This record gives sequence, C-alpha cells and structure tokens, in this order.
Amino acid sequence: MEETLHAIRSGQVDALVVEGNDGPQIYTLQGLDAETNRFRGAILDQVNDAVIAVNHENCIIYLNSAAERLYGVTISKALGQTLPQIYNCRWGHEDDEAAAMTALLERGEWRGENVHIRRDGIEINAESSITVLRDVSGQSTGILSVIRDVTERKCSENKVLVSEIRYRRLFETAHDGVLLLNPATREIIDANPFMTEMLGYSHRQLVGKELFEIGLLKDEAASQEMVRKLSRTNQVRYDDLPLKGTGGQLHEVEVVANLYDEGGLPVIQCNVRDITARKRSEEQVRLLMAEVNHRAKNLLAVVLAVAQQTAKYGDLPSYVKRLSDRIDGLAAGQDLLVRNLWQGVEVSDLVKAQLAHFEDLIGTRILMHGPCVQLTAAAAQGVGMALHELATNASKYGALSNFEGQVHISWRVTAAAKPGFSMSWTESGGPRVVEPVRKGFGQVIIGRMAEASVLGTAEIRFHEEGLSWTLNAAAENVLTGRNQNESAQGDA
Amino acid sequence: MKAAMTAFASARYVLRLYVTGLSPRSMRAISNTRWICDTYLSGRYDLEVVDIAQHPAEAKDKQIVAAPTLIKTLPQPLRRFIGDMSQTERILLGLGLDVQLP
Repeated sequence: MEETLHAIRSGQVDALVVEGNDGPQIYTLQGLDAETNRFRGAILDQVNDAVIAVNHENCIIYLNSAAERLYGVTISKALGQTLPQIYNCRWGHEDDEAAAMTALLERGEWRGENVHIRRDGIEINAESSITVLRDVSGQSTGILSVIRDVTERKCSENKVLVSEIRYRRLFETAHDGVLLLNPATREIIDANPFMTEMLGYSHRQLVGKELFEIGLLKDEAASQEMVRKLSRTNQVRYDDLPLKGTGGQLHEVEVVANLYDEGGLPVIQCNVRDITARKRSEEQVRLLMAEVNHRAKNLLAVVLAVAQQTAKYGDLPSYVKRLSDRIDGLAAGQDLLVRNLWQGVEVSDLVKAQLAHFEDLIGTRILMHGPCVQLTAAAAQGVGMALHELATNASKYGALSNFEGQVHISWRVTAAAKPGFSMSWTESGGPRVVEPVRKGFGQVIIGRMAEASVLGTAEIRFHEEGLSWTLNAAAENVLTGRNQNESAQGDA
Repeated sequence: MKAAMTAFASARYVLRLYVTGLSPRSMRAISNTRWICDTYLSGRYDLEVVDIAQHPAEAKDKQIVAAPTLIKTLPQPLRRFIGDMSQTERILLGLGLDVQLP
C-alpha cells in the first residue's frame, strides 16, 4: 500500500480504481487529455480500417479492433511488440520501400500499397496511409498507420486484368476482322490487326471513318440504315459483300454486326469474315459437280450405245457375257481416269488395265513398246474400249487363243511440224486368220468408235498370220497438253 | 537465496500489465515492460496487457487500485509494480532476476 501511495504521490499513476455502489470505478488522474484519448480510442475502435500506432522503437502502442481482426492478434498480446512480430511487408518493387521511407522523412506521410504477411502466413493486400505522429512541440513520437484490406478488390482487379489480357489476345489474333463503332457517330473507334491487314489501312487511318468510307457499305445511307436496323433488332447480317482493299484487291466478306452495351454506353461490333477463299472453293465444287454430271451422262450414252449395238449380234446368253465384258473394260478405263483426276491416262497404264486378264503374258507373249505419253480422257475411253475388244477377240480367235501366238502393241508420237499419234496392235503365231463374213459390233468399237474418240483413222487388216489394227490421229486430238510437245523417244 | 535466484533464472514468467487507454504513461509502461521481458526473459514469458478502462471488472478481481500496474503471477510469489516501469533495476529485483546492470 505504501508503494501505491508513493507511486501516486510521485506522479507515476494514470488512474485509480475505486470500489463504488455500481462496481469498480476508474478515476483518471490526467484530466481532459486522458478523456480525449479515451474518446479517440473508442472512435478508432469502431472504424473498419486497421489502425496501428508505433513509437520510436517501432513498438506497437495502439491498435484497434479492426487491426486485431486483420492480423489475427489480440491487443493484450500485441501492445509493446514490434511490427515485424505482427506482420512483414513485401513490396511490389525493390525501390518502393526506400521511396516510402523517403516520403515519411520528407513529407511526414506516405500512401501506397504493399503486401502484409501475417505470422500465420496469410497475405493481405494492404492499402496504407501512414503519418508521422508529433507531440505539441512538433517532435516526432512515432507513426500512425491506417490500413485497408484490399485483397478482395485486388483479386477482382486481377481477374479483370486476366480477362482483359485474354480477350484482348482474342481480338488481336482473330482471323476475322473486328471493327468497333460508335452508334451515335457511326465512326470506327477500334479495329483489330486482321482488319487492318485485310484492307491495307493503318489503325489510325481506320479510326474515325464510317463503314462506307472503307468500302464496306455502298454509301452513307446504307451505313445509317444499318444502325437503324441494329437499334431495332440488335443484330444485322450481310452474307456477301464486296470489299476492296487499298491495294485494289477484292475480298468477298460476310459481316455480322451486333449492338452491345458497354458499361452503359452502346457500341457496335462488326465481325468481318473474309469468305473469298470459301467462295472460290464453292465455285470450284459447283464446276466440278457440273463436270461430273456431264461425264456421267456421256458415259451412260456410251453404255447405251454399246448395249444397243451388242444386242444386234448373237443370242441372249452371249449378249449378257459380251455386254458385261465391255462394261468391265469401260470401268477399267474409268478407274484410271478417276485415279488421275480426269487429267488423262498413261498409254501403258491403259494397256495394262484393259489386258488385266492376261497380266501373266505381258512381257512374254504380249509385248508393249512406246513412249511415256498421256491420252486425254475422251481418247482413253475410245482407245481403252478398242484394246479391250481386241484382247477379247485375240483370246477367242486370235494370237492369244493358242499357246504360241504373240501380240505386239506399240505407239509413238511422230516428230513433225504437226505431230501425230500412232498406235498399233499386231498379232502373230495364232491360228490362220480368215476375214469374217459379217461385221459385228466389235469391229464398230475398234473402228468407228475408236476413230471418233481421237478424230483419226483406224485400219483393220486380217492377215493370214494374224490381225493387225492401226490407229492414227493428230497428237493434239489424242494427247494431253502435258506431253504434246515432248519428245517421242521414251519407251513404256 | 542464491538457490531461489537460480530457480528464477530458468522459470517461465506469467505477467499481466494493467493500463488505462492510450495515456502516455500507459504507453510507456507497455513499451518498458516489453523491453524488460524481451531483454531479460526472452522466450520464457507470457505478457498480457489489460485496459482497465474497458475491463473494470478485471481490476476488481485482481485488486488493482492504480494503473499502470504490473503483476507477476508466476513464478510465485505474486508481485506488483506500479508506475511506467521505467525503473528497470527495481523491476528486475522484484522479478527475482539477479542481473548486473551496466
């Protein structure tokens, strides 16, 4: 007790505790200042921002309830501790800390952001306002920090930033042109790189222009009409618009315009797709389909003619067999043409295809000789049918009907001012040949039909030692452009 | 006496400091007490600061009559110190710490 009295007398005591009727009462011994401090403390306890005051030794002399919550500490444990015992700071850049210290020294305050790392490792994005505390004489007594937890805001900002980067990248790298327009002025306010490359305008040249000024719509009235439509329907689509670049190159484009709200302001986004290549491809497909249709009709006409002519000779069972063989021959030639995309057929390939049944004899009893040249589709069809007919005939009555006969097939291109194409089929060693009394359809095929296919002449001779067939025509009627001018030296 | 001092040299201290709000003397008492603890009882003390303005009932329970007051609960015996804790030598002696100050 004596010690207590001594302390009170020597001015070391702030307050006395006296037991009253309503419990213990605290009597402060410092008058107005103490009450003011208490009042301020009560207010600071109510604010949502963390408030921490430290003295010159960096010891915490005050922290409010918000600071307790933010840093996960209690006032009783934190008071008197140093700040690093509560949290550590991480700065965005290595110079930031020095800049903050300089600001405190020179201006007595610093505002900024950094990361506070609590003792339990939790990181807080802190927006701090730090002020130097001074006594009545102006002497610095410590610093007061008001800290706002902006972690959630930072997180949102980061999400917005990531989103911005992601969609900006889409905009920058899209392989469609994108134009953004102000609906009020109808002027372009932004354009992506694909759009500038497609048109040959720089970004600066595009911005401020209306669509009709870059040739996307025909005139100002069309531009106004588009905006009117957009205001009613929010979307306008143009499937096929011509668009000329600054270099004169013409693009066919598909435009989809949408009206959007961007933070309360309307904006028009035009997606411009270059469909030039697609249109070209569609046109090629259309031409190809027409060509396929034409060829199919031709082929059907040939089949019809073959069927009719075949029917004129022989009985029904032989008719079926002969027709079937002839259609097989047509099909073999057709396969070659399709394989070569209707661009022509090598003569040697045509011969091998039509003589597929005699594959084992090629090189021994069937000898081929001629340059590597390509027949047109029409010539291949006629010559193929003739070869098929000749082979069938040889196997029935001619050089391939016994074990000794041979067939020589040769072709050549004559080197002259106007090159010619000549092909021959010469049989030998077969049974003695007698010229038939009547002409069957087989002779029509190797004669008139072959002639018609090459716009040339066909000659059939029935020598006793074997049949011979020769076809002559101008090379330009028979061969593809690829090899009309080539030398006729090579052999198959 | 020497044996008691030796026991104190390794004991864990439980201390409670009673202050009143943000008064300068209270702040000094907090700062001085922390300094003494960190310097002479590093790693073996538990200090709690109580604002009796906010918790007057605690003052009654512990028979606090003035603030700032520092109470040493452990190691026994219980000891009380009143003031801003600036008299380091007196506090150390009261805490049972046999320390030669410079």
